[in-house]
Amino acid sequence: MKILPLSKIHRKYGAQMVEFAGWEMPLKYIAIADEHMAVRGAAGIFDVSHMGEFKIRGKGALALLQKVTTNDVSKLAIGAAQYSTVLNERGGTRDDVVVYRMGEEDYMLVCNASNVEKIGGWIRKHAKDVEIEDVTMTTVLLAIQGPKALKILQKISSIDLSQIKRFKWAWGDVAGIKVVASRSGYTGEDGIELYLYDVPQSNPAIAEKLWEAIIKAGAPEGLKPCGLGTRDTTRLEAGLCLYGNDLNEEISPLEAKIDFVVKFDKGDFIGREALLKQKENGLKKVKVGLRMIEAGIPRKDHNIFKDGVEIGVVTSGTFSPLIKVGIAMGFVTPDLKIGDRVSIEIHGNKKAAEIVKLPFYDTTRYGYSRVASV
Amino acid sequence: MMAYKTPVGLYYSKEHEWVKLEGNLAKVGITDFAQSKLGDVVYVELPEVGKAVLQATEQKSKEMEIGAAESIKAVSSIYSPISGTVKEVNEALKDQPELLNTKPYDEGWLCVIDAKDAAADLKNLIDSKSYEAHIATLE
Repeated sequence: MKILPLSKIHRKYGAQMVEFAGWEMPLKYIAIADEHMAVRGAAGIFDVSHMGEFKIRGKGALALLQKVTTNDVSKLAIGAAQYSTVLNERGGTRDDVVVYRMGEEDYMLVCNASNVEKIGGWIRKHAKDVEIEDVTMTTVLLAIQGPKALKILQKISSIDLSQIKRFKWAWGDVAGIKVVASRSGYTGEDGIELYLYDVPQSNPAIAEKLWEAIIKAGAPEGLKPCGLGTRDTTRLEAGLCLYGNDLNEEISPLEAKIDFVVKFDKGDFIGREALLKQKENGLKKVKVGLRMIEAGIPRKDHNIFKDGVEIGVVTSGTFSPLIKVGIAMGFVTPDLKIGDRVSIEIHGNKKAAEIVKLPFYDTTRYGYSRVASV
Repeated sequence: MMAYKTPVGLYYSKEHEWVKLEGNLAKVGITDFAQSKLGDVVYVELPEVGKAVLQATEQKSKEMEIGAAESIKAVSSIYSPISGTVKEVNEALKDQPELLNTKPYDEGWLCVIDAKDAAADLKNLIDSKSYEAHIATLE
């Protein structure tokens, strides 16, 4: 099992550790619901150093990324990042990724922990005139998320974080440590993800210093350390896909309703033909949000019914600590509309649920576009 | 190691349910150890009144189920420590599932079972001291 550089710190903060994607990860520190509400109301800090990072440099870097990802990398400016997908020839999703442009012919590809080897092999297979370096094991990635995340980090940052717009990034010093600060995250909230490179496994002191400085700056504002449990509940409330659940080799980005990462007009890319065919023939299944009407918590693989007929399956489900009701995402036949009543089979009983729009929360009150100031 | 409450006078299953017997009526719940492993319970699935249940053995079946406890992350089935018919369920758990965590031995009880052959079933259960020793081996 791979051990996080901050493993000792997590134990110090009382984390319950679990195995996830080959890594020993903090599941929770005290209680998921409390961590979750800290992210929605103040801020949380997540160690997501298990994520994979590849540095891709050289003359062929742009051409490679244009070929293996669906978004238009030619539109990506230095200092910007874009969400994207890597597809197979059938249009199924090999991974969902974030592509950063670090320099002229210099990119960083961030992928899911469970897919590092698969994606590494895939990009090397299609590479020409590029240098690919897997820096996963020496990169610490801390996500500070929540309405107070910027305020907290600003106290210990050398650069004006408010100048970094959403899905942009900049080099800066945080607690005197040089990091890439990216205005992004996986909770639906405003926040910053900090990439700290070149952390040797044997000497994580610099990463520990960064973590402790953020905790110290954040504690008076209500910042809490958060584990994978909260990572899952926050991303699900925000309607964001989890690879392995809501995305896999049999699900296309069109079906998963993340069409905005697919740019057909950018030229050829792997999976393009298959996606065009899907568009032409019509999608057979599409992702929807589901909210329980009756009590019960929907979970992955629970079947969805309409008028007694099976019409789909849940791919992610949980109890929403914010709305205090069972919520889920699933794939159903494309005729279903927002507001339709369905039922989900939970422990053998069909329980009423409703198709709802995503995210699950009121975006004027929660999430990065909230109106209320904190 | 954490100290878990294991009140005397109750009968325990090795799978962390307890039984409090009053005549033929068996009040049933989950142990302090069980609730601690589950984490914060956010929903409790209760059995239907009138359901005939069987005392759980190693080989589990639907007839042994008396509900489920769900935390945010996980769902755990609860199996009956005693055979009989479900006579009453703890309706309070519908609105306050957290009682399973905070008061597992009193207000967090799950159901009352009208036992078929309590004397025979008790032979498969253990007392407080033995249960304490049992959970010590699991930590």
